[in-house]
Order: sequence, then C-alpha cells, then structure tokens
Amino acid sequence: MEKRIIIVGLNHDTAPLEVREKVAFENTSLRESLKRLISLPSIEEGVILSTCNRVEVLAASAEEKAAVQDIKKFLVEQESVGDPSILDGHLYSYSDQEAVRHLFRVAASLDSMVVGEPQILGQLKEYYFAAREVGTVGTILHRLFHRSFSVAKKVRSETAIARRPVSISSVAVDLARRIFDHLEEKTVMVIGAGRMGNLVVRHLIQNGVRSLMITNRTFERAVKLAEEFHASPIRFEDYRRYLKLADVVIGSTESPQFLLGSESVTEILRERKQKAMFFIDLGNRRNNFDPRINEIDNVYLYNVDHLKDVSKENLKGREGETIKADEIVNEEVEGFVRWLESLEQVPTIVALKERFEEIRQKELEKSLSTSLKELSEKERQALEELTSSMINKILHAPLARLRTQPEKKSIYVEALKRFFNLDEK
Amino acid sequence: MDVTLLQLTAAIYLLATGSFILYLVLAKDFFSHLSPLIVLSGFLIHTAALGVYFFNTGYPAIAQFREALSFYSWLMVGVYLLVQLKYRLTVLGCFIAPLAFLMSLAAFTFGVGGGELPPTLKTYWLPLHVTLAFLGNAFFALAFGVSVMYLLNEYQLKNKKVSALLKHFPSLERLDRLNYVFLIWGFPLMTLGIITGSLWARVHWGEYWSWEPRQISSAITWILYGGLLHGRMTAGWRGKKAAFWTIVGFAVVLGYFLWGDAVFPGRHGGRFE
Repeated sequence: MEKRIIIVGLNHDTAPLEVREKVAFENTSLRESLKRLISLPSIEEGVILSTCNRVEVLAASAEEKAAVQDIKKFLVEQESVGDPSILDGHLYSYSDQEAVRHLFRVAASLDSMVVGEPQILGQLKEYYFAAREVGTVGTILHRLFHRSFSVAKKVRSETAIARRPVSISSVAVDLARRIFDHLEEKTVMVIGAGRMGNLVVRHLIQNGVRSLMITNRTFERAVKLAEEFHASPIRFEDYRRYLKLADVVIGSTESPQFLLGSESVTEILRERKQKAMFFIDLGNRRNNFDPRINEIDNVYLYNVDHLKDVSKENLKGREGETIKADEIVNEEVEGFVRWLESLEQVPTIVALKERFEEIRQKELEKSLSTSLKELSEKERQALEELTSSMINKILHAPLARLRTQPEKKSIYVEALKRFFNLDEK
Repeated sequence: MDVTLLQLTAAIYLLATGSFILYLVLAKDFFSHLSPLIVLSGFLIHTAALGVYFFNTGYPAIAQFREALSFYSWLMVGVYLLVQLKYRLTVLGCFIAPLAFLMSLAAFTFGVGGGELPPTLKTYWLPLHVTLAFLGNAFFALAFGVSVMYLLNEYQLKNKKVSALLKHFPSLERLDRLNYVFLIWGFPLMTLGIITGSLWARVHWGEYWSWEPRQISSAITWILYGGLLHGRMTAGWRGKKAAFWTIVGFAVVLGYFLWGDAVFPGRHGGRFE
C-alpha cells in the first residue's frame, strides 16, 4: 500500500495566539501525546511540532482522508482545548507534495512569523528527535525530516534570508554580542515578568547566557520564573544592590516613573569600574529606564522601538531572497517527491521486469531445445544477448514514463498490473 | 634598496586592501581567508627585499628616512600577522593593509630627508634602538586600528544605526581588551626604544637627552600612553575614552614620523652632526 505524507495544524497566520496556546502540546506530556497519536489506526508514522507560532502534526499514512480526520480529532481532544469549535476555520491540512513543501518552508524559516529567524530549525530537530525516541518515526518521516534539515541549511547558505536577525529578541541578542565578547560569562538581570522579557531571556539563554537574576514586585512570581530559567530570584526591594553585577538589564515593567535614572546608573557604573552595561526597555511605556542613561559612556539603552527599527533595517532587501529561497525549496520538493514515488514504483517495476524475463527464459528454452538445437555456443550467446536487449528496449519507454510522470503514476501502475497480470503471483 | 621589490610589495598591499574591502562589503568567508594570505605574501617579498639589502651591504636598511619608513611598515605588518594568527582579527587588516600600502608607497616616492649615515654611526646601536622603538610603534598602530573600530562601533550602537558593514567587527568588549593588550606590549617596547636611544646618544654625542623634536614627540607619546595605561589599570578607564586617547597618541607618532622632520629638523631626520 502506498503511504502519503500528511500535515494538519495551525500557525501564526491562521490562528490567533489564544487558540494556538490552547492547542499547544505540553513538553512534559509530549511522549504520551506521541503514543496516543501513533495508536490511531490510520497513522503509521507521526511527529508533533509545537512552538509558540505553530502547532502541527506530521504523519505518514496509507489513508489520507481518515488520517486527516483522525489528526483533527486528536488535536481537538486535547484537554486544554475545551470547546472543539474554537479550532474551526483555523486548521489547515496538506498532503503529499504540498505537505513536503510546507515542511521544507517551515524548516527554512520561510513560513515563520519573522522570516529567516533561526530558532525554528532547532525546534524542528528537537521534536523530530523526541518522536524518534518514542519510536513514532519510520522510513518516510525520517527521510522527510533529514531532507528538511538540509534544505534549511542550503537556504541559509545560498540566500541572505537569515543573514541578519529580525525578531525583537534576536536583535537584542545580536546587539548584546556586539557589545560583549562572551555571553557565557555575562550576567543578566530581568526586572518584571513581562512576556516579551521572557522571550528575550529565553533567547539569551539559548545563546549561552548562564547567569540570570530575576526580580518582580510580587516575589512569588519572580521565584516561579526563576525556577523555570534556573535563575536566582531577587526581592524587588533589593534588586538595586545587585545591579552592579548585571551586564544586561532587561526592564519589562509598566512602571509610571523611571525605575532607574541617570544618576543611579552613573553610580553603578563607577562601582563596576566602567564595565559596559546594556539596558533593554521592553515596557510598553518605554519608561523603565531614563532615556538619558544612553548618554553615559559604556551604557547602551534600547527600547522596543529601537529594536524594531533595527529589525526593519535588517528586513530591507530580504524580499528578493525569499523568492530565491522558494526556488531552492521547490527543487528539493521535486527531488523528494520523486524518491517517494520510486518507493511505490519499485515493486511494479521489479514485477514487470521479472515477468518479461520469465517469458524470455521460457521461450528461449523452448526454442533452444527444439528448432534451434543446432546452434553453437557462440550463437546461443548471441541469441541470449539479442533477446535481453530487445526486452530492455521494449521496457525502457514505459519505465521512464513511470518515473517522470508522477501525476499519472497510479493509472499507469494499475494498467501495467492488469495488462501483464502482475498481481497474480 | 631594491625599488622593484618595494614596488611589488606596495602593489600587493594595495591588492590586500581591496580584498579586505571586499570582505567588509560582501561578507564572504572566502575573502576573510584570502586577505591575510595576500598580506603574508607581501610581507615575504618585503622580507626578501630587506634581506637582499642586508646581504649586500652588511647593514640593515634603516639609516635613511625612506628605509626607516619601509622598515616600520614591515614590522607593523609582521606584528599584525602574528596577531592575526593568535586572535583571528581579520577586520583589523582593513586598517593595517592600507596603512602598509601608504607607507611602502611613501618609502619609494619620498626621496627627502636622510643623508648618508656617517660611518661612525654605523654601529649596532642604531638597529637596536630603531627596532625597539618601531616595534613599540607597530603595536600602537594596531591599537590605533582597534580604537578606530571601537569608535565606529560605539557610535553606531549609541545611535541605533546598526549597519551591516560593521557586522564583522569584534564586540566592543573585545576591541577594548585588544586595545589594552596592544598598549601593554607597545609601551615597554617604546620605553626600551627611548632608553637605548639615550644610551646611544650618551655614547656618541655625550649627552642622554638633547631636546630634539623627535625626542620631545616621543616623550609626549610616552607620557600619553603611560597615563592611559595607568588609568586603565587603576581607574577603570576604558572604552571610548581609551580609544580616543590611543588615536591621539598614534596621531602624534605618525604625524611626527611623516612630517616632523620637515618642520623641525633634527638628528632623527638624518642631520647627524
């Protein structure tokens, strides 16, 4: 039976954050979810991908329609979803060539909210490895994912799409790298527990930051966040005392007045012997830090607007690159689909060749033992070669057609089977 | 001195400059590997030119002004190549290659300054003094390069104009630390250069210090860099301030080296009487 590749899911484009959050899979129960997925009768191989921007189930299945239905149900049945109707109109599904193209585009970060951002590839790998560990990956998804990793690499190296960071958090990390040499040795202080702050912190950690302090007006909140990031929680009353240890300070409070003014920062800098500090103001009011601190030597202050400006600047000239990237993806999709089809054709081709060979042998034997009995060894050899080459010539065109016209493949395969009684054996 | 080899050297440094610019603009790894190799080939030819001269005359090519200039650029490029080997600081070449080109160009176009060295001065005091002083200045040239890079980078970061051109610049922290490393090498070498110079002056002219223009400019640079190092070590001077004063110090060095003798004639310009 032939296997199809199926993707069902939703992303930042088709569903708002509230919906995506509800469908998202918990990391802690991913193994159970995968096992549940593979236990569905229509699913033969499966991988779950769940990031803040997308939730997708990738599967290999012999029954496309049943599989799509099963996966939809699988997504809806998550406890967190509650009302199943919230997914209406948000889900998309792709199969075969389109599914392959979709995954390749996702891996190459062409389908990302921020095109070219590099995290998605890492996330894809994580989810693939998790599925492989649980044992829900077979030949097809294995090959599909590995192909997608190399497509991503190719797009990265042959286009400028990922050359410059564009998401707010990757811009922040990039700036930190321009200021500091080894992020591994730097200390980050986070003031406030805003969502944006968490994102930047996560990104900094991914890029090597190990030492992290978190403070919040509600201390419990700081403790909880600190646990998540393996950071040290700090009481809000005390954080100023620790500021001199921080190289990067992220403010994500919505404080009505400045948390830190110019004088205090000057003082802190003196205490740290003028070692550079990078302040990131992620508050909507841009009011965490006095803007004047940017004028102090060795102090750099960026707020959300500045980060966005840098991001916009980096985005310029990227449009042409996405076209180039899509061309690469298309080429790769073709190659993959060809492989997928060859999987299915092989039995038919082998059977067809065997059938012809069988006929040839039979007829040859018959003739050689009767009418052509007198032939010399040399002549027999020539006859052998002649018949072999005839069969190869006859088979050449139909086999080539099978390989090059995938869209008509199923008709051809069916016709061949019937014409030559290939199923009889 | 073999002018053909010098011209070839200058041409290669020009080529290297072009390659470094391509590296900055195109951001292709190919040029980051190629450019230092071009510099290296220029350096080898330059070394050959100096070697041939030494072999023929039995004395290093440093007595005349143009020779000194060429010798200085040779040392500077040599130090750069060592630094490149240790720190992989390819972008620094964007400053060193054009500087080396201009100096080697000047070395065979400037005919001025520097008469024949009187035989009495052909002692090994001269190469010793010149090599130490120039080595110190070679490190200052590198410190100058990283300081210019620092200021450019700092300006962009402060003003939120982060351009792709500076993408390959090392971080501010690294540039600042390199500034320190180069000063900490350059300063003692320069000090030794001044000391050997004074001793030689004592031996030959009978006085340690004669308030020569060159000596005065050296003293200014020495005090400047000494003060800067002291500030760095004790008061946490770093960053922009350090970069600025490094550039000022090097401007004094280079300014005197290129034009000083024309304005303030002295023994260092070749009037050895």
